Amino acid sequence: MASVSFDRATKVYPGPVVALRELSLDVADGEFLILVGPSGCGKSTALRMVAGLERISEGTISIGGRPVNDIPPKDRDIAMVFQNYALYPHMTVEKNLAFGLRQRKTKPDDVRRLVDEISRMLGLEDLLRRRPGQLSGGQRQRVAMGRALVREPEVFLLDEPLSNLDAKLRVQMRAQLKRLHEHVGVTTIYVTHDQVEAITLGERIAVLSEGVLQQVGPPQSVYDHPANVFVAGFIGSPPMNLLEGTASDGRVVVAEVELDRVRAPDGPVLVGIRPEGLRPVGGDHVGAAFDVGVDLVEPLGDEVLVHGSIDGLDGVVRPPDAETPLLADADADGAGSNVTIRLPPEERPSAGSRLRVGVAPNAVRLFDPSTGRAIETT
Amino acid sequence: MSSITAPAPTLDEPIDLTHLEGETGMVERPRRRLLPFDPWHLFLAPLAFVMLLPLVWMVVTSLQTKAQTLHFPPILWPGTPQFVNYLDVIRDSAFGTWFWNTTVVTVLVVASNLVLCTLAAYGFARIRFLGRGFIYFVLLATLMVPLQVVLIPTFLIVKQLGLLDHLGALVVPNLVNVFGIFMLTQFFRTLPIDLEEAARIDGASRLSILLRIVVPLSLPALATLAVIQFLWTWNDFLWPLVTILTNQDAFTLQLGLATFQGAHQTQWHLVAAANIMSMIPLIVLFLLAQRYFVRGIATQGLKG
Amino acid sequence: MSAATQDLGTVTRFRRFLVSDHVAGWAFILPSVVLIVIFGILPIVWGLILSFQKAGLISPEREWVGFENYARIASDPKARQAAINTIYYTMLFVPISILLALFVAHALNRKIALIRFYRLAVFIPVVTSTIATGIMFLWLFDKNFGLANWLLGKIGLGPFGFFEDPNQAMIALVLMTVWGWLGFDTIIYLAALQGVPNELVEAASIDGASRWTTFWRVTWPMLGPATLLLVVWSTISALQLFDEVFFVTHGGPLGRTSVVVFYVYRLAFEQGLGSLSLAGYAAAIAYVLFLVILILTLAQFWLGRRVVHYSS
Repeated sequence: MASVSFDRATKVYPGPVVALRELSLDVADGEFLILVGPSGCGKSTALRMVAGLERISEGTISIGGRPVNDIPPKDRDIAMVFQNYALYPHMTVEKNLAFGLRQRKTKPDDVRRLVDEISRMLGLEDLLRRRPGQLSGGQRQRVAMGRALVREPEVFLLDEPLSNLDAKLRVQMRAQLKRLHEHVGVTTIYVTHDQVEAITLGERIAVLSEGVLQQVGPPQSVYDHPANVFVAGFIGSPPMNLLEGTASDGRVVVAEVELDRVRAPDGPVLVGIRPEGLRPVGGDHVGAAFDVGVDLVEPLGDEVLVHGSIDGLDGVVRPPDAETPLLADADADGAGSNVTIRLPPEERPSAGSRLRVGVAPNAVRLFDPSTGRAIETT
Repeated sequence: MSSITAPAPTLDEPIDLTHLEGETGMVERPRRRLLPFDPWHLFLAPLAFVMLLPLVWMVVTSLQTKAQTLHFPPILWPGTPQFVNYLDVIRDSAFGTWFWNTTVVTVLVVASNLVLCTLAAYGFARIRFLGRGFIYFVLLATLMVPLQVVLIPTFLIVKQLGLLDHLGALVVPNLVNVFGIFMLTQFFRTLPIDLEEAARIDGASRLSILLRIVVPLSLPALATLAVIQFLWTWNDFLWPLVTILTNQDAFTLQLGLATFQGAHQTQWHLVAAANIMSMIPLIVLFLLAQRYFVRGIATQGLKG
Repeated sequence: MSAATQDLGTVTRFRRFLVSDHVAGWAFILPSVVLIVIFGILPIVWGLILSFQKAGLISPEREWVGFENYARIASDPKARQAAINTIYYTMLFVPISILLALFVAHALNRKIALIRFYRLAVFIPVVTSTIATGIMFLWLFDKNFGLANWLLGKIGLGPFGFFEDPNQAMIALVLMTVWGWLGFDTIIYLAALQGVPNELVEAASIDGASRWTTFWRVTWPMLGPATLLLVVWSTISALQLFDEVFFVTHGGPLGRTSVVVFYVYRLAFEQGLGSLSLAGYAAAIAYVLFLVILILTLAQFWLGRRVVHYSS
């Protein structure tokens, strides 16, 4: 059994600086779990704690049901792919692959066999005699993966393994990683700051922020039902639109438009609608619709992003981890965009035009403006 | 338009972790701690003792009376420190002269090196001129030639120039040190060239670029060079030995110290005081500028 | 083109030449180059010429004798002794100082209490001059009143003659110079150790290597360049030992610490200052030493390049 369990795992650095707060999470045997979040959220710390590279301040981490707090890395039967690959520069690819096996006193025949298998699987046969310095980035990455997999570990840890590759290679490797996991089936914990990677690769994703677990679940669930505004803003690109609204008598109103089939307790409320949840409608549309003044249009080839301002809605709500905009909000009439709409590529409104968008059914998510937490919508 | 930021996630109940101090490092097999401290102290403490012993013992000796020094087993503490030893050294020898001479020579050599090496290094690093590669190569080649090979001929040259037996003999041949040129050239090459190119486009002259842009950015490297050159010049013995033959007024500190020890062979209390006084400037410099000493030595390492 | 325009062309071209890179470059390097030619290159050439002459230092005698000086070295027992002493010293000094520095650097490469004090203690001897160090050790190693014999006596050893004992003098010199140079070597090794990416050590740990294995199979190979540098540097300095020999033992006792550079100095500046014209012979010996150093250095580099790995 090679499950991994975090039981209120906490990491504090001298300072004191709290890197991880009471993380409780279970990774099932054979599962591909992704830890995702912005820099400093504690994802790498959590991974390194599983590896034994960081000591656990409080709480427990168990591998295969066995607590490993006091077990050094070499006795944990885990393998790791580092962000910078950490290949031994003075050893050939073959020696790099064989190093871990030799440390565990594997018989030379078995070493030979395992190294051959792995090099065949990852296409490294022609590179065995070369040194890491003579390899390309992609090749080094494969050697790093090979070195980890050749030992047939119980748990496979990856720390942002694709972030040093150029964009195109990254997309290729993503697909290959997925295929690899299906082939090998070992419990995998993968750390990334790239939420696109997270959604495409993971069986389940765990979103962290500032050392605290925000939400864990299958990618689609997290995308569709974010637990708070942070997750709503972090997962999905462009981020979910957040609009200031009010609820009274159970009805939710944004910019004097009543939203269908959503209920909330009285008071102010944050309304979240993903860019694809707003669709252009004609003047005769029945149901909630907004009039939007188009500010900026971004054609992306396969789709078009429209940034605009909703009539009657003055405020702009930014997700918690957003950067301050390049230009301060004041332009001619002091308006910044507060909504982003995703359109199919043939629709190309021009800046300054007006657009009427309706809200797709079930596209509305509600959040409490003071805590940021999601509110049940029905 | 007003803009607000949606609230960042907060914890249900704030977790109190102030009782944890935090630590860094890998998980290690819990080892029974036999000692209340890290076992490496068992090696490092005696090592520090051995490294500092000669210095400390010299200080102690310098504060003892002659009788105390010539006592066996050695007396470890003088009782009343004899600071008068230091005064005796200054009074009964030309220590002041030696100190002054060394200071003058060192300051001149360091200053000259800073100026000349900076100019030359900038030329090699940033200006493309005819013969640049060849000249640089020849200069570096001179670094390979050991001192004893050039000792006698340089002596003869200095003699021809009439500088023998004068401080000039110590200053003039050392006005520029090839190692300094090498070190600064390497350093200047690491500076981003964009700044200088922008200045050239703005019409600045090369000298002006050097003085206003490159030098301010190079202060750590220059400090390192100054410190290393200071160390070499202050401690130089062989060259003063060879060139200052009879003129006692031109003795440097090292030369004077050696003579002093020869003349006061059993007066260890005085010799110790003289020795300590000669070391103080460099030790003070080291304590103030440790970083530059270390960097200078590490750079000498890169020279290989 | 009119005549006036042609004149302007010449002036402009001259002005352009003045501010051209070539002139600028030479202007920057000229003072240094002049000084180095006079005090660096000229002596090298002159030294070679001298080695083929019978020359006086103070006296103006210059007589061309060809390779006679060089031949004389082979039959000179003092030269042979100097060579043997130098080799003996080098073979003790180089391995001891480097291995010790490696261990010390490894010890200093950690964050424990007092580490800054320990580093300071190791580095400070670097600033002491050869004379200052000589005095300190002459006193420490004094046969009758020195602290060393007292301390050694407490653990049942000695008393030793140190610098005054023909068999011990060179070893005492080694101890003294190792003390003086340890800080230098340690700084270089420490810098190299800190340049080893921590990730490699972590990867090795995950791969199952013990700390011992990690040090020798992962860290040590990455110290190759630093080790090569220290071997070359230490060898060159050891072969050129002078100050300590001159001041502390003056070649004795019984010539057992007379090293090559000391012998060169004696010939040229002690014996040669009078009527004897030994400057040429001394120059020849100096050049032979130079050649030995050159060959040895090249050999070390060649061997090093094959064994040492330089990470890209």
